[in-house]
Amino acid sequence: MNARILVLGLLLLALACALAFAVGGVHLSMADLVSGTGASGQTARLLASLRGPRIALAALVGGCLALAGAALQALLKNPLADPFLLGTSGGAAVGAAGAALAGLSPLISPAAAFLGAAAASLAVAGLARRGGRLDLQRLLLAGLIANAFFSALLLGAFSIASGEAARTMLFWMMGSLADATPAKVETLFPYAAAGAAVLIAASARLNLFSVGEDNAAALGVDTERTKRVVFLAASLLTGAAVAFAGVIGFVGLLVPHAVRTVCGNDQRTLLPVSFLAGATLLVAADAVSRAALAPAELPIGALTAALGAPLFAWLLLRTP
Amino acid sequence: MAAAEDPLSAAGLQDAGWIEARGLTASYGSSPALRGLDASIGAGEVAAILGENGSGKSTLLKVLARVLPIEGGVVRFDGKSLDALPRRQTARRIAYVPQSVDLVFPIRALDLVLQGRAPHGRGFVAESPGDRERAMVAMRACDVDALAQRDASALSGGERRRVFLARALAQEAEVWLLDEPTAGLDPRHRLEFLETLWKVHGERRTTVLLVTHEIPLAGDLASRVLLLKQGRTIAQGPAAEVLTSENLERAFGAPFSTRGSRFEVHSAILPRASFEP
Repeated sequence: MNARILVLGLLLLALACALAFAVGGVHLSMADLVSGTGASGQTARLLASLRGPRIALAALVGGCLALAGAALQALLKNPLADPFLLGTSGGAAVGAAGAALAGLSPLISPAAAFLGAAAASLAVAGLARRGGRLDLQRLLLAGLIANAFFSALLLGAFSIASGEAARTMLFWMMGSLADATPAKVETLFPYAAAGAAVLIAASARLNLFSVGEDNAAALGVDTERTKRVVFLAASLLTGAAVAFAGVIGFVGLLVPHAVRTVCGNDQRTLLPVSFLAGATLLVAADAVSRAALAPAELPIGALTAALGAPLFAWLLLRTP
Repeated sequence: MAAAEDPLSAAGLQDAGWIEARGLTASYGSSPALRGLDASIGAGEVAAILGENGSGKSTLLKVLARVLPIEGGVVRFDGKSLDALPRRQTARRIAYVPQSVDLVFPIRALDLVLQGRAPHGRGFVAESPGDRERAMVAMRACDVDALAQRDASALSGGERRRVFLARALAQEAEVWLLDEPTAGLDPRHRLEFLETLWKVHGERRTTVLLVTHEIPLAGDLASRVLLLKQGRTIAQGPAAEVLTSENLERAFGAPFSTRGSRFEVHSAILPRASFEP
């Protein structure tokens, strides 16, 4: 792995975090933040305690989604694979929303979202299977079907829910980082770490998959096992991200693509750098969404979709 | 060319890398592709696998490469059941060169060749400097070392086949499975590929299973020929004994006598490689 690229990624992430601390409805100066004294200093501390968890949540969610997208792209040998487009995010949102409607503790929601994401992955893979193997065109169509179905479920739940529950449904559908708390960040962290560790450990095998599943099998990879492990880990990351931030699309599509053009397609570099770049993107995008229409907030999912959809169209045109 | 004249088919040059299949069945997709196939290929032999489209040639290679599972019957590799051997172990000893690989993501030719070292590493981690050295030696042997830093998806069909052959070489396998390696190549690239294959085979004494539609090539290159039809072997043995018009007519359902169509296969004029080991 290229250490310099990793260091550069960390620096960019730090820069984005610093920016995100500073901007928003109220602008902070770094001097106020560091000194923390006087009236402006106390405001700074207060805002930092609000913005800190939000930035940490944005970084973890962005990293999880980007890493899940990068791993799925290599596994399926398809640059269009993304947890949002494959319906995994939608399944996660339905799982989390279902748990919330059933009155379960918010601490359960990542697990419920993971179950939803895993079920969605299985269903989509099942629909896309033709003659014993995953057909890639069918996979994207199956993702479309799954997304339509999950949207219908969420909209249906939204229409019967009222008050707080309706607001929660809207949150899962639109995606938001506004409700970040230190507790949420702490709950998300182990899920993110576990999923990331599993995928990064599989990165050399994913290199063989990115040339083809047959290629991986002929080079000694237990392909069925690797597919299961990668699908589950990607579902775990997606579920964790969606449980606390709702459905934020296109991060898993955008980030690996951008990283690939800079660092090449060696998964041993691409996966960890995608995590860092996804974190950077979402921290920066969240800062923009807070600052652009302040004091109102632009929905983060709208921003990532505005960036991601044109890229998706461009990739589609280039795909033979 | 008769088997006895082929210097490489003489028994005992190599005693590892022999393959035996009995009553092998396997499916490709949902349809059965092998329906009780028998095959025996000796160590160091070049065996050509002939048969009409859909006769199971590629499926046989995929089963031997462990890309497709064995559903019935038995395959022995050096006397041991292929199924029972660990996948990584067989991947070190059996190299698969697919007919064509559609590369979606950019990958340097060198990195593609380095993938041949993957089964040798510990747990598919990073390649060692020794792996790089082996990959470059293999690329030189296949005359693609100048392409090492190029994106493999931008290479010509002939160049890409030689890159994959270099990978099989870097894999240090005893058995090479080549799926229609000359299909779609123009005469010059075909010749270059075959000369490279013949040269590296001569150096390594590998067992080669070659799927092809080029019947004259099978006669020139192979010491042994397997004729497949509908997932079964209808004839196998020394090339001179198997490549009779009677057998070929049975396999392909097309006339192979000298009185047939002006386009009949025997009259096909194909460039002959200068096969001097």
